[in-house]
Amino acid sequence: MRTRKVGFALLFLLVAGATSAFAQTRVVTGRVTNATTNAPVVSAQITVGGTTITTVTDADGSFTVGVPVGTVQLIVRRIGFKRNTASVSASAGTVQITLEPDVLRLDEVVVTGQATGMERRNLPNAVSTVSGEDMAKVPAATIERFLQGRVAGANIQSNSGAPGGGIAVELRGVTSFIGRSPLYVLDGVIVSDDAIPSNVNEVTNAAGGSNPSLTQDNQVNRIVDINPADIETIEILKGASASAIYGSKASNGVVIITTRRGRPGAPQINVSQRFGFSDLAKNLTREFETAADVDAAFGAGTAAAFNFDPERNVEEALAGRNALSYESSVSVSGGDASTRYFVSGLWKDDEGIMPNTGFEKQSLRLNLDQTVSDRFRFQVSSNMVHTLGQRGVSNNDNTGTSPWFVLASTPRFVDLSQQADGSYPLNPFERSNPIQTMELMRNDEDVWRFIGSARVEADLVQSDRTTLQIIAVGGVDRFSQDNELLFPPDLQFEGDDGLPGTSLLSSTASENINVSGNVVLQTSTVDGNVISTTSAGVQYETRDLNTARITTRNILAGQANINQGSNIAVNEARNRVEDFGLYLQEEVLLNDRLMLTAGIRADQSSANTESDKLFFYPKGAASYRIPMNSGLLEEVKLRAAYGESGNQPLFGQQFSPLEGRVNIESILGLQVPAGINNQIVATDIEPERQREFEAGVDATFAAGRANLEATFFHKRVSDLLLSRQLSPSTGFTQEIFNGGKMRINGFEVALGLVPVQTNDVTWVLRSTFATNTSEITELPVPGFFPQNSGFGPDLGQFRIEEGQSATSIWGNIPDGAGGANLGKIGDSNPDFRAGLTSDITFGDFNVFGLLDWQKGGEAVNLTRLLFDAGNNSADCTNDPETDPCLGSATNPGRLRSFGTNTAVYLESTTFLKLRELTVSWALPQSFVSGVWGALDNARLSLSGRDLITVTDYSGFDPEVSNFGNQAIGRNIDVAPFPRSRSFWFGLDVGF
Amino acid sequence: MKRIFSIAPLVAVLAVGGCDTLTVPDFNNPGLEDLQQDPSRVNIQLLAQGLQIGARATISARAGYISALGILGRESYNFDPSDPRFLTGLLIGPLDGSSNAFGGAHWVPRYANIRNANIALDLLDQSGDAFSTEEQEAIRGFAKTIQAHDLLLAINTRDDFGAPIDVGGDATAEPAPIATKAEVLARIVTLLDEAAVHLGGGGAAFPFQLSSGFAGFDTPATFRTFARGLKARVQVYQQDWSGALTSLGESFLNATPATLADLDEGVYHAFSSAPGDVVNGIFDPSRLVIVAHPSVATDAVAGDDRFDRKVASIPSVDDQAQAGVSTTWAYDVYDKLSAPIPMVRNEELILLRAEANLQMGNLQLALDDINVVRQVSGNLAPIDFATDWSTRTADGRVDELLYNRRYSLMFEGHRWIDMRRYDRLTDLPIDAGTSFVRFSRFPFPVRECDARVPAPSQGCSQEVGF
Repeated sequence: MRTRKVGFALLFLLVAGATSAFAQTRVVTGRVTNATTNAPVVSAQITVGGTTITTVTDADGSFTVGVPVGTVQLIVRRIGFKRNTASVSASAGTVQITLEPDVLRLDEVVVTGQATGMERRNLPNAVSTVSGEDMAKVPAATIERFLQGRVAGANIQSNSGAPGGGIAVELRGVTSFIGRSPLYVLDGVIVSDDAIPSNVNEVTNAAGGSNPSLTQDNQVNRIVDINPADIETIEILKGASASAIYGSKASNGVVIITTRRGRPGAPQINVSQRFGFSDLAKNLTREFETAADVDAAFGAGTAAAFNFDPERNVEEALAGRNALSYESSVSVSGGDASTRYFVSGLWKDDEGIMPNTGFEKQSLRLNLDQTVSDRFRFQVSSNMVHTLGQRGVSNNDNTGTSPWFVLASTPRFVDLSQQADGSYPLNPFERSNPIQTMELMRNDEDVWRFIGSARVEADLVQSDRTTLQIIAVGGVDRFSQDNELLFPPDLQFEGDDGLPGTSLLSSTASENINVSGNVVLQTSTVDGNVISTTSAGVQYETRDLNTARITTRNILAGQANINQGSNIAVNEARNRVEDFGLYLQEEVLLNDRLMLTAGIRADQSSANTESDKLFFYPKGAASYRIPMNSGLLEEVKLRAAYGESGNQPLFGQQFSPLEGRVNIESILGLQVPAGINNQIVATDIEPERQREFEAGVDATFAAGRANLEATFFHKRVSDLLLSRQLSPSTGFTQEIFNGGKMRINGFEVALGLVPVQTNDVTWVLRSTFATNTSEITELPVPGFFPQNSGFGPDLGQFRIEEGQSATSIWGNIPDGAGGANLGKIGDSNPDFRAGLTSDITFGDFNVFGLLDWQKGGEAVNLTRLLFDAGNNSADCTNDPETDPCLGSATNPGRLRSFGTNTAVYLESTTFLKLRELTVSWALPQSFVSGVWGALDNARLSLSGRDLITVTDYSGFDPEVSNFGNQAIGRNIDVAPFPRSRSFWFGLDVGF
Repeated sequence: MKRIFSIAPLVAVLAVGGCDTLTVPDFNNPGLEDLQQDPSRVNIQLLAQGLQIGARATISARAGYISALGILGRESYNFDPSDPRFLTGLLIGPLDGSSNAFGGAHWVPRYANIRNANIALDLLDQSGDAFSTEEQEAIRGFAKTIQAHDLLLAINTRDDFGAPIDVGGDATAEPAPIATKAEVLARIVTLLDEAAVHLGGGGAAFPFQLSSGFAGFDTPATFRTFARGLKARVQVYQQDWSGALTSLGESFLNATPATLADLDEGVYHAFSSAPGDVVNGIFDPSRLVIVAHPSVATDAVAGDDRFDRKVASIPSVDDQAQAGVSTTWAYDVYDKLSAPIPMVRNEELILLRAEANLQMGNLQLALDDINVVRQVSGNLAPIDFATDWSTRTADGRVDELLYNRRYSLMFEGHRWIDMRRYDRLTDLPIDAGTSFVRFSRFPFPVRECDARVPAPSQGCSQEVGF
């Protein structure tokens, strides 16, 4: 702490010691307009060439700027427009500047440092940017859904079909085994993406079997709380070469989210109203045509006993709900030259396909920008969000309660619906009636979240060739998550544990606090050929995550209060991490062609065993733009970047815990935890280190009508945090240590194309392609199955083995003598991911589509194993000699062979999905004004999400993870929440 | 030039380093290292109390020791549709050491508790005057007895694959070699003999709390009679018949039980549904999942009260896959969530004495004990020595012994081991069809094999069954 104060003091001295000098001698006024519509361009940034002088246009598109004597170049930039340079002669006092729309967004400014950014044209890294406008097409609960298929190198997969998120984002392959999502930075504040289990495990006992992981609750990662409609841009730094300045938190990539801000002018009001519904996309249960088939499968008399009706479908009765969903949002923005505001509100309710499932979100945002003087500005961003997630019960289960676990052995024609007298039939095939369970249970996740930040910018020096800016950012991300679950005592399964009725209450408080101080020094040579940006800063951050849980069993009928039961158990988990970091970065632009960047970050963290040790993360990058102006090819940029970043140990990994939680008849005891995850820490642990080299070529064709970005990357990760297995006979099963090396090579292409651009028709195509391969190049210990990587190799488990990929799935391979040997049977990493968006505007109509293609990769479909075990898989037959499910002694079906051949349940995860499709129509201006004079524009839309999925995968969805978001151990399918399609009708109006 | 000067202090900050107070402790659990540096009375008491918790770990789970040995010994089924491996893993096979909950189970918790005992013993040696000498001896005797019990359960599942015994050292060092079954049993006897000496000097009371499962055996002197009884079981496994008789003489054996309660006298794992405690998971009120093997009914002698008392008729339940396995019987052996599971009880001791005498040729003595159990526990007529017992073949007399062990100790984890000891596993029914098999032992967990280079020559492949 002492040293940190010294750091801040030095910074202050540094900026206080700087001087101010101005050499402006004349004033230029002007106006910036849209080249195609002639509308004024608000908030365009004007920079005086060869200087660091900048200003912005007002609501009218006008600006006034002081410039040096002589002819000057004014460089005008604005998101969504190509940059333009206007020459103003020595005698001219006014200028008119037009900007061309930048459909492919080649000229936007991309954030590259903690406090600085640079134009995409000079960028040495392949930073993907998605704009808020692109995201507004089809409603989705969470922002990751909008990135699917749009970002080359991002493998973004849902864990299940449940409403409201639970989505893993993997940037440039698996780079760590400890599993962590990218770092999310929202308006300068590091925000939590923690996924906190609901504790439904207390009912399903999912963790009571082969894998004690509590992440089987189908939990939601909390980035879901962000309102997508508030977002201006999302920038994705995919690897260490781009993200090194974020140091020991950056190895999984950094997602920088910037929210919308007010622009000068009259209030702009936009209102959007959408209605829609979701629909179950697939059935898993076996179809029967005749009563004879039924009896052959489930025993004589079954068809008669359960009134066999081939039309009756318990899956549709359970998950066939098409309840009305809606999304209402409004935003107001405006202001004047000194004060600008953006206010938005959202009210959203996604109804799930099962009873008591859905996702609600209400959000209120106020972003305020105040210019105090031309030297001093501040910004305040604040967002209050409430979300209510209702995810029902799904995933792994050991108590016969998870619906598709139960349906695995329940014939589809059995009537389990509520009867006229209000009762529910008992399910004689399993321990629970899933319709009763879902209609009477409650699994509510209430989150209240406040994210606020303040940013203060002071220009200490403002001369025509030097600016010195101090930027201080502080923010807080605080949320409380309450999980209230109720399983009333009259549920069929509830008495099975001898304690009918379960009421669960969990309370989580998460608090992230960040403060940073930055100094940015920009200098320019007299001729403007050398522009240098130097930035330095310090950061301090704390992250607290505390969860308290109460489980009450044997509760009074009709009561939910956790007091109203006989059997009460509690649990608490507290996490805290404190980080401190320093950085220094230098960017030099030579002749507006050659960009050189170097930087270093130093980090220390309480998550490391040596919490006071600094770890250093350097970076360096260069790019060079070569003008071609030959035929089609307009410009080529060559770029290369190198950087290092870290991945901190998880909280708790630095400890060797004992268990004192379990008692015997209230007698306390201390013991080595008896579970298979007990651990010791034999060595000091520290962050993993990633070294990434990235090189690429960007080319612009045909006056910006086409753009190609091709990137190769090579990552080496060392000091991996491994949980290697010890001989269990020692009493311990794992040792956490740093060791081993891994490399990831990959290739990414992003292509933007505007095949048609006329006044009436614009057609924009964007496509992405990404592939990567990994290899564990060095492992100082024998190969092993890491913790939480599956249910054991006999059911397909991920293994860390030298010379193999990091995503290898192992299982039993028949040895030909009745037994089997363990070996690699598959790999969860796809061969490639590709996305294609097409956006066609003709007149008042717009058609937008997004295709997402994954080729290759494998998943272990244990849902199919369960359905086989219930003789209820879609492809089961009644002929023991050919039946692929159960088979017989002479025809071992999948069920009889998987004990020696795990691959029978391995399936390809290749898919092609139509993620988004929207058709919209802008109502004619005359009509709009006729309805109400204040209306500016109005648009009707019809849209759908995940409308079509083409795949051979036999389960609900090849995007699946029973264990939630984790780097390895994904692609294990155990009775997930089913996949659905959603359909929307929308009306957007502007005032 | 000015810029360079301005930046210099910042570079200095980077070089000097930042903050020196970023230490966050473990808020959630006590730490092993902290404990090892603090050999206080309370810490050692907590460790000693923890040994009973560790000894109980996974015993009562639905995939635990009693349930799994019940399935392998054709005493019980687990028709849990959540995991087909209760059928495919334990009845069809192969038995797979890579599965934590099936082929590779019943190992980690046993060695974890052996480690617990070693931590307690090591700490006790450094405890100075925290305990009196008698108290120290009492703790040593208790810890070694529990350690012996865990080691016995470990070798019971791995049988002739053996098990490591010198496991008290540095956990990150080369693992202890795998000893043979005979060496393991000998080590258990040694531990129990040491325990008996410690307990003999252990004073009047244990300096820590014991659960209700130890009622009647909660002083060093009475606990010693349990340790002797446990030793007798191991000696019977070793076929050290006279040694077993000696040990039984020092045990809590009561050969003239008047009631079932007298037969139930013994040491138990206690369970409860209180917060933080563990329930007896093989109590299954639904009677759909943990059920009895039908052979339990077909093989019972008419009127045997043990069958009537412990087994109940239920509507037919079967495995979901229609593989041909079904039953109409369920257990009443464990009838509530807090039903205790025996470690050693008097009925077993009587039958151990009968077995030792039988094997030593003391036919009358053996029959006397068997008849006591038949009458008190089974409500069956005694077998007449002259007209019946003396006319039976040796095998016939073993049949009678094993029948009584089967029904007296039903669903307590003995049947499979007994059939293996007498080389009779092939007499176990194979349920439904040729794909069902029997097993004599579990392979080692895949972790045990992975951690040893080279892997042990046996026990590291799938166990195919017969």
